[in-house]
Amino acid sequence: MISSREPTDQAGHEMDILIFGLISASVVLLSSVGFALILRTEGFLHIAHGQMLLLGAYTGLLLSNLGLHIAPTAIGAALFTGFVGVLFYGVLFRPIKARGALVLLFTSVGAAYVVYGLVGAIAGKRMLAFDLPPVRAFQLFGQPFMTVYELAIVIVAIASALCLHLFLAYTSPGQAIRAVSDDEALARVRGIDPMRTSYLVWFVASALGGLAGVFLGILGSLHLAMGWQQIILILATTVLGGIGSIYGVMLAAFVLAFGIEIGLLFVESSYRSGLAFLIIIVVLLVKPQGLQALWGGGAGRTH
Amino acid sequence: MEGLILFAVSMLTLGAVYGMLCLALNLESGLGPLWDLGIVSFFGIGAYTYVLLTAPPAADHQSYIFGFGLPMWIGVVASMVAGGVAAWLIGLPTLKLKREYFLIVTLAFAEVIRQVYANEEWLTNGVAGIYGLQQPLRSTVPAMQYSYVLLALALLGLAFAWAVTRSIGASPFGRACKALRENEALAITAGIDPRGVSMRVYMVAGALAGLAGVFGVWYTTLIIPGQFEADLTFFVWAALIIGGIGNQRGALIGAFVFILLHDALRFIQVSGEWAVTLTSLRTALVGLALILILRFRPEGLFGERPVTFAQRTPQEAERA
Repeated sequence: MISSREPTDQAGHEMDILIFGLISASVVLLSSVGFALILRTEGFLHIAHGQMLLLGAYTGLLLSNLGLHIAPTAIGAALFTGFVGVLFYGVLFRPIKARGALVLLFTSVGAAYVVYGLVGAIAGKRMLAFDLPPVRAFQLFGQPFMTVYELAIVIVAIASALCLHLFLAYTSPGQAIRAVSDDEALARVRGIDPMRTSYLVWFVASALGGLAGVFLGILGSLHLAMGWQQIILILATTVLGGIGSIYGVMLAAFVLAFGIEIGLLFVESSYRSGLAFLIIIVVLLVKPQGLQALWGGGAGRTH
Repeated sequence: MEGLILFAVSMLTLGAVYGMLCLALNLESGLGPLWDLGIVSFFGIGAYTYVLLTAPPAADHQSYIFGFGLPMWIGVVASMVAGGVAAWLIGLPTLKLKREYFLIVTLAFAEVIRQVYANEEWLTNGVAGIYGLQQPLRSTVPAMQYSYVLLALALLGLAFAWAVTRSIGASPFGRACKALRENEALAITAGIDPRGVSMRVYMVAGALAGLAGVFGVWYTTLIIPGQFEADLTFFVWAALIIGGIGNQRGALIGAFVFILLHDALRFIQVSGEWAVTLTSLRTALVGLALILILRFRPEGLFGERPVTFAQRTPQEAERA
């Protein structure tokens, strides 16, 4: 993602792994929790979630080119992507919910191609970048640490995950979401409207995806393949965390990101997502339920 | 006019290659219980195996392994063997996984394999690829007529894939696959070994996809890692869904309909910036078609029909 920083010595090298790992974990975390949330409540692999990142990044670029500061740009892009997610749910997914995971999955693939094609038609295939004022990295213990953008991204990502946890655990809409994803019929009996919680889930998940897209654009560049590249990492994170487990995914984002950074010491950087998959293949061989098995999750799934 | 016919022949040839992949995918995912998002792995492994065995030794500016210049038929057989063996190797750790995990892990393997093609230059000449590959029976006809020969060959390959998948579908083994797809627990109580059956159907699909890889090479006369991205897997799935999953004829027709949707617009010649826009819109169109089919005709153009093994009554015979 960021290749400008050259390691100076061995200590700098280890510091780099820590910093790179933290930054890439933040983006993976932000893009994966939304995916996991949809998987948990709707029960299918939302492949188009990767394209939500693409949409968020390019919307951000549009707003940024209009002269907006980067913070309102990120918020605006996230809100827009969130509304697109809600639209997708209402128009595409809700009407066919009863038809099963495979139909939903490939509808999502279709939606991914529509978004990818439309963004490509408007923005073109050129590589683009946010026009941000250049900044120097902070110094920490005499080593270059992070730029202000990177630091903000890490803080926002971790804060978002924390907020999501508090939201799901302690607020009544959050509890409604968890109730519906555990047992929709029972939740309905208890007076929860599953449709409303679903719209909420889609908004939150897609907005987080859009935000992750903007961050990805800030850290590197914007190109059309970014959605597909990121969905591969998201899928790896999801499997590693254990399908349907949101906390498993949060842990997995860090395990995966640091695993990749350490692995990149031994192989070329073009193997980035390959490493992610190597990690999940190994984990699945040992624990077929993913990381959630560490705290006993996932055992109840029968299919 | 001549140009239009040649374009149509080219599209039909590509359709036949997709048809082979669709039939292979239909075997494992339509008939069988495996939701495979990694069919492109075997397509690529078949293609690279064929090329590395039959291509001439690497020139100075290239680097790839082997290059024995072996006869084509050996390459064809080897591509099928390689596809099957690759399926066996990938199947060993993955077939015990349940559906969603299997989907993701097969996608994962396909991506890792593609990265190997792109990065290991000693093996495949990396992203530069290998160009100018030989086509079969090239010297027997004038260059102008060669595309017809290639089409005939591709249709022959498609007929082979059809015959294999059809006979498997009608066999007791095919029924075991269907039983596993419908209800694994019940199939086990009926004495079906889920691992064994899944592994065999996965290997057959891998071998057929490997064979399709050879035809892909003959069609393009080059091989680059970019040909084997996850896109291809999704396209084959889209074609199969459009045609009708679980139905042989659906798989076949779906492939050609998909090519019509996706590549027919290529005939329109435009320049520069517009070409990029048009390519993107083509992709969006495919996505839209997929969404609409799943919404309004989820069984595809040809749905799966129940097969009866009893004697037909006269009324039934008349209706069929």
